[in-house]
Amino acid sequence: MFVGIIDNPIGLNHFLVLGALMFACGLLSMMVKRNAIGILMGVELVLNAANVNLVAFNRYLWAGDRAGGKPLMDGQVFAIFVIVLAAAEAAVALAIFLNYYNNFSSIDVERGQTLKG
Amino acid sequence: MPVATLLIIATLLPLVSFLILVFLGRRMGSPLAGIVGTFFIAGSFVCSLAAMIVWLSMDTASGTAPGAGGQPYIRLMDWLPVGKWFSNNGFLQIGVHVDSLTIVMFSMVTLVSTLVYVFSLGYMSEDKRFPRFFTYLSLFCFSMLGLVIGGTILQLFIFWELVGLCSYLLIGFWYEKKSASNAAIKAFVVNRVGDLGFLIGLGILFFNLGNVSLMDVYRYLGNAGSVEKGQIIVLPADGTPAALAGTIQPAIAEAGKPDASKYNHMTVGLLTIMGIGLFFGAVGKSAQFPLHVWLPDAMEGPTPVSALIHAATMVAAGVYLVGRIFPILTPDAKLFIAIIGCITLTMAALIAMAQTDIKKVLAYSTLSQLGYMMLAMGIGSWVGALFHLITHAFFKALLFLGSGSVIHAAHHEQELGQYGGLWRKIPYTALTFGIAVLAIAGTPLMSGYYSKHLIVGNAASFSWLAAKVGKGWGYWLLFWVPTIIAYVTAFYMTRCWMLTFAGKPRNKHLYDHAHDTPILYIPLIALAVLSIIAGYEWFGVPSFLRSTQKETRNYFERTRAVAGSETPAPPLMARFTGFDTSWQPASAYEHETEPANGAAESSPHAARPEPEAHAARTELAAGHAPKPEGALPEIKEEDPARIAAFHNGEKLVHWSGYAFIIGIGLGVLVYWNGFAVANAMLKIAPIRWINIWLYRKMYFDELYGVIFVGVTLAISKLASAIDTYVIDVAVNLSAKLVKRGSDLAGAHDTYIVDGAVNGAASLAQSLGVAVRAPQTGRIRAYVLALMVVVAVGLAAAIVVVLSVVG
Repeated sequence: MFVGIIDNPIGLNHFLVLGALMFACGLLSMMVKRNAIGILMGVELVLNAANVNLVAFNRYLWAGDRAGGKPLMDGQVFAIFVIVLAAAEAAVALAIFLNYYNNFSSIDVERGQTLKG
Repeated sequence: MPVATLLIIATLLPLVSFLILVFLGRRMGSPLAGIVGTFFIAGSFVCSLAAMIVWLSMDTASGTAPGAGGQPYIRLMDWLPVGKWFSNNGFLQIGVHVDSLTIVMFSMVTLVSTLVYVFSLGYMSEDKRFPRFFTYLSLFCFSMLGLVIGGTILQLFIFWELVGLCSYLLIGFWYEKKSASNAAIKAFVVNRVGDLGFLIGLGILFFNLGNVSLMDVYRYLGNAGSVEKGQIIVLPADGTPAALAGTIQPAIAEAGKPDASKYNHMTVGLLTIMGIGLFFGAVGKSAQFPLHVWLPDAMEGPTPVSALIHAATMVAAGVYLVGRIFPILTPDAKLFIAIIGCITLTMAALIAMAQTDIKKVLAYSTLSQLGYMMLAMGIGSWVGALFHLITHAFFKALLFLGSGSVIHAAHHEQELGQYGGLWRKIPYTALTFGIAVLAIAGTPLMSGYYSKHLIVGNAASFSWLAAKVGKGWGYWLLFWVPTIIAYVTAFYMTRCWMLTFAGKPRNKHLYDHAHDTPILYIPLIALAVLSIIAGYEWFGVPSFLRSTQKETRNYFERTRAVAGSETPAPPLMARFTGFDTSWQPASAYEHETEPANGAAESSPHAARPEPEAHAARTELAAGHAPKPEGALPEIKEEDPARIAAFHNGEKLVHWSGYAFIIGIGLGVLVYWNGFAVANAMLKIAPIRWINIWLYRKMYFDELYGVIFVGVTLAISKLASAIDTYVIDVAVNLSAKLVKRGSDLAGAHDTYIVDGAVNGAASLAQSLGVAVRAPQTGRIRAYVLALMVVVAVGLAAAIVVVLSVVG
């Protein structure tokens, strides 16, 4: 399997592997990090892994396809959306962390196990 | 001042004194409270005396003999609205009824009461409840005076009950003594029995007549004395012809005459029951035969109270009541009264012979004398009964106060066995007591002689009349029994005096310490004088009593005469034969009671001018009004049978005249040396048995104990058994059932209802616990879970896809 990736020129599979690796890294970062910022970074990685996949699929599977004379750009558009979403999410998350910090003097997520104040 | 006003003041003074003493008595203390009470009752006596003087002067003004020309003063007012169904005018009435009898009773009651008060000042001076004693005495006098002045029988009943209450309070005055409080309760309960009879009689009267004012009762039922079997008395009512009201009619209409029984009426049987019912009240109060048991026990009260009860108030009330209802008694009711009186006087005199407590002897002598009075009422000797009531009041008050003086001197020792020879130590008491003994024994020139002989003479006339109309020999008992008992009376009273005052002292210590006290013997002397003079014609008691009868008749004649002229016609006045012997066959007479003491009027003809003068006065009073239609039937003053009866009575009455000689002589002989002769006689067995029987009061208490108390107890035991074994069992059973049922319901509640509720709650709780477990709040754990799920899901998806593809 790895031999195929190394041997072949850059293609869809490479991007998919990259996406999978990024996803795995993001997921791992979310699972192991106690720092809220780290978790946010993990989330960004996961989102961007999806973006990579979206763009790669659009490039390799639908390349050259036309719809009414215009190239199909759905993957890219999705990716843009995800980026925007990620930015909004980061803003909200950072605001939450700021408050979190005010309450606990730390952004260690292990401390936020209770619902009270 | 008008007579009635004076008498009302006389009535209210003891009430005022009662109120003052109730609120301030304890603060006044001894002896001030007693002096205040005495002052008020003396004021009452003065008012009564003034009333008597005014009453006499009124008669003098009308130019007639004392009382004869007058008429009763009657004022009634509506009191309680009770509706037309119950009462004729819709109200219960109260008012005053003043005639010569009222005046005499007032004077006697207030005089005796005053003397008793004075005596009590000395006798009760060491008692710790001295003020309360005078409080009760005042209420007692007020009740008695209210009873005497009462204008309706209802009012009589009210004060009657008050008298009963006061006797209860006073008999139980020393309530620390168990025997005293028992005696008080006994007196009260026994009197209730009699009062029930009174209430029944009053109810019959009220229901039929709708009005119980004395005058209306006399007006419509005044003929009751001549009612025979099979007759009725028509009563006033809507629709009854006025001319018929108050007349005697046959119960079954005669041919060609209107049927009277369709109108409101009373039959002779109902009248008799009513009379006996009312008499039963008097049986209770005056302690006649079936209900006499309370009176000897009433000796537990202080001695002045005994004097008051026995002389002026309580027992006098019964005789007074019979005197007031006398005109409405049928011959049968009167016979009943005579028999009861006869039984009482015999029984009591016999028991008195064997008693050893000085007060018990006197108590039974009271019973016996009351029996004489009731006998007199029964045989129609109205004047005789009330005359004896007055004279007896004086000498019995004297006897009781005398015994009180003895008891006081003897440091509250009452047994005759402890006395003896006391005349040396307490000469005043001995002398006055002796006068009273002579009076009660019927010694000539003493008051008791006149009144008792009037009664016995009338009894003889009555028996003679009864024999003449073929009534049988039994009626002679009504003469011979009281005659023989007169001997017994003299004997036992002499015994009492001899054992107390004569002979040798039997208790040396007691004898040495005995002494007279002035405040005690001053009333005694006053009463002794009265005991002598009360019987004389000039003293006026019999003439006063006789004029009562004329006054009542005058009242009716005048009312009728006035009514005939202008005013609307009132119902026809019944011919008022009122206070007469009404034994058949003769319906009216005057003479048996006229010559009160034989010597005064030896011939009945002396009374002859009376009717003419009488008629003339009536004319005068009526303003020469023409006699209305259906004039009163003239009273036959010279009924031959009556005159013969009177003469025969006169012939027989001497038999009781020897009583005082033989009785007193025997008494002196037997008891000249204390109990020596008596004890010798008691060695003979039958005499001893009789003595024990009499000493035990003929076992009446035991008999009643078995019959009434025993039966009551048996019934209550039965009731208690029913309670325990029937009602309780049923109740307990139902209780158990209810408990079982509620246990069941409780279990249902606990295990089903509560179980469901709690189960739902605990289910929710455990669900919550279970769900909460994964909510750790740890983000990494969530992510891990998410990843695991995703991985598993992905793997499952791959497996599924492969299996499908594969």
